[in-house]
Amino acid sequence: MTGIMSVSESTTVDQLRPVGEDSAYDFYFGPAHPGSGNFGTKLKIAGEVVTSARADPGYLHRGFEKLMEYRLPIQNSVLSDRICVLEALNWNLIHAEAVEELMEIEPPERAKYIRVIVAELSRIQSHFIWFGAFSISTGFETGFKLALAYRDYILDLFEMITGGRVYPAGYICPGGVRRDFPAGATKKIAHVLDQIGRMVRIEEIEQPALPARTKGVGVLSLDDAIRLGATGPVLRGSGLKTDVRKDDPYEVYDRFDFEVPTREEGDAYARYLVGVEEIRQSERIIRQALQQLPEGEVIAPKFKRIKLATKIPEGDVYVRNEVARGEAGVYMVSDGGDKPYRVKIRGPSFLHMIPVLEHLLTGAQIADVPAIYWSLNVCPADLDR
Amino acid sequence: MGAKDLEILDRIASEFNMRGQVRRKGRIWLDTPAEGFVDFCRWLKEQGFEHLSAISAIDWPAEGTYGLAYHLWSYLDNTLITLKVNIDRQNPVMDSVTGIWDGSARAHEREIHELFGIKFEGNDDLTPLFLEDWEGLPPFRKDFNWREYVGEKYYDRDNERERVYYG
Repeated sequence: MTGIMSVSESTTVDQLRPVGEDSAYDFYFGPAHPGSGNFGTKLKIAGEVVTSARADPGYLHRGFEKLMEYRLPIQNSVLSDRICVLEALNWNLIHAEAVEELMEIEPPERAKYIRVIVAELSRIQSHFIWFGAFSISTGFETGFKLALAYRDYILDLFEMITGGRVYPAGYICPGGVRRDFPAGATKKIAHVLDQIGRMVRIEEIEQPALPARTKGVGVLSLDDAIRLGATGPVLRGSGLKTDVRKDDPYEVYDRFDFEVPTREEGDAYARYLVGVEEIRQSERIIRQALQQLPEGEVIAPKFKRIKLATKIPEGDVYVRNEVARGEAGVYMVSDGGDKPYRVKIRGPSFLHMIPVLEHLLTGAQIADVPAIYWSLNVCPADLDR
Repeated sequence: MGAKDLEILDRIASEFNMRGQVRRKGRIWLDTPAEGFVDFCRWLKEQGFEHLSAISAIDWPAEGTYGLAYHLWSYLDNTLITLKVNIDRQNPVMDSVTGIWDGSARAHEREIHELFGIKFEGNDDLTPLFLEDWEGLPPFRKDFNWREYVGEKYYDRDNERERVYYG
């Protein structure tokens, strides 16, 4: 460390900064940082400014795509939980849809509604975690505690419906869902929706720390968002009105009345506001689905009893879903065997955490790094897979 | 089946002499030659396919090819088009589409280069993403057997309980 002067009362910040090549420092945000998840970002900083950012993923690479080539679809549906811890049911759903489309199987009506209800509940609890992580990373710790407390109501529902609080163990499986709602489930879901409404009101209260830390921070223009492959709330926060549930409907989403929220600003605060509004819209969808919920079977006859050597017809399929973080995709290829020949999983965080994050962090202040990072609603697990 | 999808197919057929297939509403599939692929992609982007959703690679060792599938989404027409290209497995080189879909394409191609060993000419950043100091076969190739690899590398033969998995 050359060039540092002795510190006296008259020393200015500029004089403290080392001169020459040494003036840039390497600064690692993660993978062992409590605010980063299992993911690292290698930053170069000069003074307080990030001059370059490089994503460093791989800490959660489990090779699911390869693992699925060795397993039957019914086993893979359990694996698909783990693609993203924070929204396991949404990934269950997209895996099941891919297998069904390859096998040309239509799940029963009731199963489709149950799928929508649990997937939207999963989206809400994921958005609560987003709010919690976003709050704590901007110095609003109460927000984190509130969000995780309210999320527990939804986890109680998951425990009742699927048997697991976080991992549903393939509850949404090819052909439908593993079992019907237990008695009284719809009433309990309606009750939890009221609690969710309370949490959304808490999120909406303008407390000063959050806007002050996030307004005008991490601005992503619409052109950049499309160029870098942003999807979901990140893209909508930059002003494009698009949602897979509306534009490319799957299950029974075309039967519900809901809005797609967007903001023009493209900053971290705009993305947060989009997220809050999405919880309200998910709540609307669930209420409508509960009202329309038909009676009947919950799993297609072919999958009622699991036959181990069920062949998947030859072919390939690409399925898209809107998960909490953006666009999810599964490309599944079958060569006619009982296991998929190749599964490609497209997680929304893959592009949010590599090109988008690197773009937004370059030129940012160090203090804004966590706010930008969490405003993207990231999940290292669906990046690494 | 959407009229819009068929209209897009006709446009492609009249410009490039390629005939795709609409499998269901909003799903177009098209086999494409590797020659002139980048020009075709540039044209598609001008037609509204602005979003490169993903690139998938499939290993076909028996045929001696790698399949590449480019999944493109149009925010304009709400249609997904999947372009399927086959390249030689012995010399897996493909033209990069980073000139068209920039950051998105760069990341997707990086991943495929690491996991399948396919080189993308024109992509300036093919550093590995997931695996540290990996020197073996690209692990997602069909001839890489992870069960064998894990057994050789991690089986602790002194630990009797591990025999259940590896023995």
